Amino acid sequence: MGLRWYHYVLWAAFIGGMFVLPEFVSRGTLRTLIFANFLAIFAISWDALSGRTGYISFGHTFLIGIGAYTTAILTKRFGVPVEVSIPLAVIATMIGGLIVLLPALRIRGSYFALVTLAMMELIYQLVQVIRPDLTGGTRGMSGLPTLTRGAANGYYMSVSLMLAIALSTWLLMRTRLGTALWAIGMNEDAVAGSGLSPTRLKMIAFLTSAFIAGLGGAVYIHYLGSIAPRALFDINFVFTIIVAALIGGAGTIVGPIIGAFFLTFLLEYLRPWLPGAERYMVYAGLALILYMVQPKGLASLVTDAAARLRRAP
Amino acid sequence: MLQVLIQGLLLSGLYALIAVGFTLIFSVGRVLNLAYGAYLLIGGYVYFHFAQTLGLPKFAGVALAGIFGCAMGVLKYQLLVKPLKGNHVAIEISSLILAVFLQYAVVFAFGDSSKILLPIIPGVERVAGAAIPYSNLFAAIASWIILIALWAYVRFTHMGRAMQAVSMDAKGAAISGIDANRVNMTTWAISGTLGAIAGVFFASYTQLYPGMWVAPLIVAVAVVIVGGIGSIMGTLLVAHIIGFLEVLTSSLIAPELRGVFTMVLIIAILVLRPQGLLGREEL
Repeated sequence: MGLRWYHYVLWAAFIGGMFVLPEFVSRGTLRTLIFANFLAIFAISWDALSGRTGYISFGHTFLIGIGAYTTAILTKRFGVPVEVSIPLAVIATMIGGLIVLLPALRIRGSYFALVTLAMMELIYQLVQVIRPDLTGGTRGMSGLPTLTRGAANGYYMSVSLMLAIALSTWLLMRTRLGTALWAIGMNEDAVAGSGLSPTRLKMIAFLTSAFIAGLGGAVYIHYLGSIAPRALFDINFVFTIIVAALIGGAGTIVGPIIGAFFLTFLLEYLRPWLPGAERYMVYAGLALILYMVQPKGLASLVTDAAARLRRAP
Repeated sequence: MLQVLIQGLLLSGLYALIAVGFTLIFSVGRVLNLAYGAYLLIGGYVYFHFAQTLGLPKFAGVALAGIFGCAMGVLKYQLLVKPLKGNHVAIEISSLILAVFLQYAVVFAFGDSSKILLPIIPGVERVAGAAIPYSNLFAAIASWIILIALWAYVRFTHMGRAMQAVSMDAKGAAISGIDANRVNMTTWAISGTLGAIAGVFFASYTQLYPGMWVAPLIVAVAVVIVGGIGSIMGTLLVAHIIGFLEVLTSSLIAPELRGVFTMVLIIAILVLRPQGLLGREEL
């Protein structure tokens, strides 16, 4: 995998830094950090599916929602303990990932983006109508069992999950698999021509993404303690995830994390000036400018600067 | 039954108008304009501001909405689509970001709450127990007139034929001396105008609120996918299929399910016949 000493140092510093952070910040900031962690998980998940392979998903919350609703229904309606329901939710989401894979076998580019958008709208409408006694209908469900109490515990849980996912995805993408996924994004026919099976590679990417989305969604719901269809299957939620991944830098692992933290804190710091939803205007405007200036994201700005420093000693 | 027929016809006319601007861009520029829904949003709010808040004549309001939409289409082409040089993924993503930006710009300017548009033409006609507001009737008739005019434009004018040429084969069109840049810009301008005018009608059909751009975008997407690219008549036909499907679902099964079959149709068509029902063989 070509691991170098500075990889270990950087990861150790990053993980250590994240774990001592609660000693220095207020509890309000801690809650913001928790949301940033979850957003980072979702952004990594989106990136695993779309960032490398180029199959842009505009309905990623389809997967997150499956995970979230599975565990919510199991715990609330059937009294299944959380320890059992979260793994079941992850499995359900991976089945959902296979459903997303089906159209990707036949269509490419814009059409794939459209079908994912349609899937999200479909599940949003179905959740409200079909068996509202199970799903809670339009209003969703509240009073779900929560995993942790207090901001500090919630932070440690979310940050451990985020770091574990980030590290394992990073290792996975350093293998030849990651390279092959990049190649699919560049030229799928060439990948098939080199004797690799694009279908199998895409399946691995989609299942990885679904695994992360399901795990993140399920834990997120058990952190919030409530679930509502419009909060999940919302194009604005998808937008936040995509923008986090892209602003940070698609196709990297640090990128989505940087993007998620940057965006969450941007929204938080805008709050004193713009208390309402208008904050998103600044957010989207900034995202648009950043994206037009550097489509590869903040991570590449950082690496470019580092390369320039190294060249001019 | 008559009621379903009339409602279906009215809704389908509106859907055809909504979808045709989107199809146009998709056929000529091969770009998925996810900000298309935002044209409808802006059109609706421009009309609301000028005709209802400032009290200008209503048709001036519709015309101003069209002008704003046209300007937005041109601006978007110049500032976003051209610099990205045919990188489709980048254009689609920046369109989505732009749409969300415009949604919250509207929140910033007009507030979060939904507004009710006064009907363009007040009054209600009763046919077979169904109340048909004159403004819906007007919207449907106007949609038909606009669509026929557009069809004639694409069919018979030089610019329209150039659009067809670019949509079929951009390289071949360039070799024949067609300025693709001008064709594209005209297409974006027309698409923006149509979107904004459709937005006025759509907003008076439902209501005006900052999140209203998603539903018409999905309709436009559905029409393009099911109909296939490059056909105004195909757009018209599929808009009727989808319009009637929605009206039938909501009157026979349940109003909440009205969009479900549209989505199922999209997914089924994409998986089974990706080039659409009437579109050219191409992906």
